[in-house]
Parts: sequence; C-alpha cells; structure tokens
Amino acid sequence: MTVTDETIVLRTFADAKDAYRAKDLRQSLYDEGEVVMDGVLVNLHGDEHRNRRRVENRMFRRDVFDQYERELFPAVTERTVAPHLAAGKVDLVHLGHELMLNLAALTAGIDRPKGTVEETARLGEYNAKFIQGATLAHSTGDKDAQRVAIARALEDWDAEFLAPSVERRRELLDREAAGEDVEVPRDVLATLLRHHDELDLDDGVVRREVAFFLLAGAHTSATAFVRAIDHILGWLERHPEDAAAVREDALFMQRCVHETVRLNPSSPTGRRRALAPVTLRSGVHIPQGATVVIDLQVLNRDPELFGPDAAEFNPNRTPPPGVAPFGLSFGAGMHVCIGQDLAAGVVARPGTDPDTHLYGLVTGAVQHMFGVGVRRDPDDPPQRDAATARPYWGTYPVLLGE
Amino acid sequence: MAYRISVDHEACMSSGKCVADAPELFRFDEDEIAEPVPGAPAPSDDRIVDLARNCPSGALVVTDAESGDEVDVG
Repeated sequence: MTVTDETIVLRTFADAKDAYRAKDLRQSLYDEGEVVMDGVLVNLHGDEHRNRRRVENRMFRRDVFDQYERELFPAVTERTVAPHLAAGKVDLVHLGHELMLNLAALTAGIDRPKGTVEETARLGEYNAKFIQGATLAHSTGDKDAQRVAIARALEDWDAEFLAPSVERRRELLDREAAGEDVEVPRDVLATLLRHHDELDLDDGVVRREVAFFLLAGAHTSATAFVRAIDHILGWLERHPEDAAAVREDALFMQRCVHETVRLNPSSPTGRRRALAPVTLRSGVHIPQGATVVIDLQVLNRDPELFGPDAAEFNPNRTPPPGVAPFGLSFGAGMHVCIGQDLAAGVVARPGTDPDTHLYGLVTGAVQHMFGVGVRRDPDDPPQRDAATARPYWGTYPVLLGE
Repeated sequence: MAYRISVDHEACMSSGKCVADAPELFRFDEDEIAEPVPGAPAPSDDRIVDLARNCPSGALVVTDAESGDEVDVG
C-alpha cells in the first residue's frame, strides 16, 4: 500500500461534506497547536471521540441552550455593554472578546469569585494565550517561544481559575450524590467531573479540554460578533429600509449572523489526514497519509449553491435543500462544531415560532448592539490584525448611544 | 417510494438533534443514545431525509421500505 504526504485540496461542497463524514479521515487542523489541543475533544478520533462526545453532548443540548439564551446570556450581555454605552464608544474587537469571554466562562465552567475587572482581565490574558495556541499554525511569530509561554499560561490559569472551579463543582457533586438538593452548574467542567470515572481523563486533559472550550467559545463568537456588525453596517448603508429589522426582527438578525459565518468561517480551511485510502463519491481518491485541505472560503461561496452574488453579504438569500445558510463553516459529520446551536441557534424553517426559537448567542449579542445604536466612528476607521494570516479585525472603533 | 428510518446505536453520539427536532419519533434510551419511539406514526419521506441529514454522526439510517436498500440522503 502506498503512503503519501501529498496534499489534496477540496473545493466543492459535495466533496467537503463527504470528506467530513469519512471515518478514515482524521482531524488535523490543530496539529501545530498540541500545547493546548492535545487530547482535546476536537482532536480525538474514532471510539475515543464518540465516547467523549456522547458525554459532553449532554450539556450541548437545546434544553440547556434554552436556559443559557433566555436566562443567563441577556443579563451578562447587558452588564458587559453598559459601561461602554455610558462612555459612548468602544472598540468592538475588545468588547467582542470581553463579552464572549464572559459568556464562554459560563459554558466552560470557569468561576470568577471576586467578580472584579482585574480578575476578568487576567482571565482574558490567559485566554488570549490559549487562542494563540489553537491557531499556532497561522501565527506569523516565533512559534517555539509561543509554545513555552502558552504552556506556562495553562499552568498559571489552572492554579488561579481552574482548580477553585473544580473544587466548587466537586463539592456540589458530592452533596448531590449524598441526596442534598443542590444546583450543579450545567457547564463543561461539571459535565466532565460528573462523568469522570466513565471518561478516565487525567488532570492535564481536563485542563486543556476546559481551556479549549473557553477559547473556542470566546474566540469564534467574538470574531463572528465583530464581523456580523461590520457586514450589517455595510448592508444598512445600501438597504436603509432594514434599519428597523436589525433592532426588532430576531429572525432577520439571525440570517445576518448565518450569512456572516458563511462568508467568514472561523478557520478558513478544514484539515484532515487520511488514516487509510479513501475514495469520495465524486471519484476523488485520497491515498493513505495524504493531507486533505477543505477550502471553506471557496466552497461557501459556490455560485451554483448560493447564487451569482455568493461572494456578497445578503441576509435574504435562500440556500437549496440540504445546504445550511452558514455553509460548512461549522464543519459536518461527527466533528461538526458542538457549540453550533449555542452560537448560531437553530436554522429557522417555515412556521418557526419566533417566541420559542433558539437564535444563538451571537445573534442576541449583535442585536443588543444595534439596540444601543452601534455605528462606525467616522474619525477612527477599523484596522485589520497584522499579527496573523487569518482575516481578523485588529481594531474596530464604534460609537454607541443615540 | 416509502422510506424507513432507524438508529445505528454504535454510531449515535447523543447530539440529541433528532430528539429535539422530532420528539414524537425519537427519545433517549437509558444510556442517552437515541432510539425510535415505539408505535410512532410514520413520518413523510421528506421529513425522514431532513432528520437524517441533520444527524451529525450519520446514525440515522434511511432505507427503502420495499427493497430494504440503504438510501443515500446526501
């Protein structure tokens, strides 16, 4: 059998979907980010992945999301935005990370007992290191030096934030097991601790797993938050008739978020490595050992699926059956993003009840911003981030209030 | 053509999407793996395809009721 190190790039929707579902194609997007990604859910394969996912999926279900979206997130969003609204301006990039860190800390299970600005700032600094770790493949800096700093940050974060969060949940779980009526948080850390014996995870894996959920929840949602507001501001310049919709129509706003995510997947590519030869239904053959690169930027803009204006932002677009409005930005198959419904909500269908529908935390946060009058600062234009090859905004100053 | 839908117990990773989308058709067993609700009404072919496409683990298997052949839902 031939083993190769060649790279095969997939640029069609059908091939990508097929590849995401192929059991012999293993996740390899984070091969360079092992310092924070080793043993983490998205890096597992086969039975090990399925068993971890079965446990963690118990926390990533719609009844849990419903509680987050309706009870927990709105208050956190309002509290986070309030001081910036009072100041009348904010950098959206900073606000996006601050807000989504606050929301991700809830879902990951990281407590901040002091509740001070300094405490949250320190958690943000740790999280920035973890984000560097997960996206190390795209870093333009010294990767070895970054690995050392990230490993140190993980240890310090564990001592300062994770260990006390573990202790509190263990105590609650013990009391629950003893028959006491206590409320154990519905978060990733509590879920891992509750199923500790079943999963048999060492402390290092638990540390990286919770760090991963913190960084993934905060970072991907923060970038989507800024990009969505940017796209919508541009849309409103051309379509002022939709000004009321962005404040009042959550289904329209959700379509804006889905369209943003289609055009700007968190990672511009998916990567897989062939553990065995694979032939896709189209006939594309992938030899054992080959790396498969899934070009999400291209296939999410396929005019045959998304129309002649596929490269443009258009929240009124209707994709064909079997194609999600956000394309394949959340992946597909067994590794589909576990937080997809939490971040982007459930895709609306004809007859969706707006009162019970799940819109996703990004939709809620973006709609809140339009409710407080977000608009570009004419004296301070947004700038791209030069520290990464990924298309991130570095700064995005906006004005708030009427 | 009439389709049938079943759950591949080994493949299911408990995402709960089928249970949330169609609680009249699917529920969790004691291990929180999806299973069909006994005696549930037969859904339309379109609904079956929709549910199967939405299952991230590919654990919802669609078959042609007449031939018993597995149907590729794309």
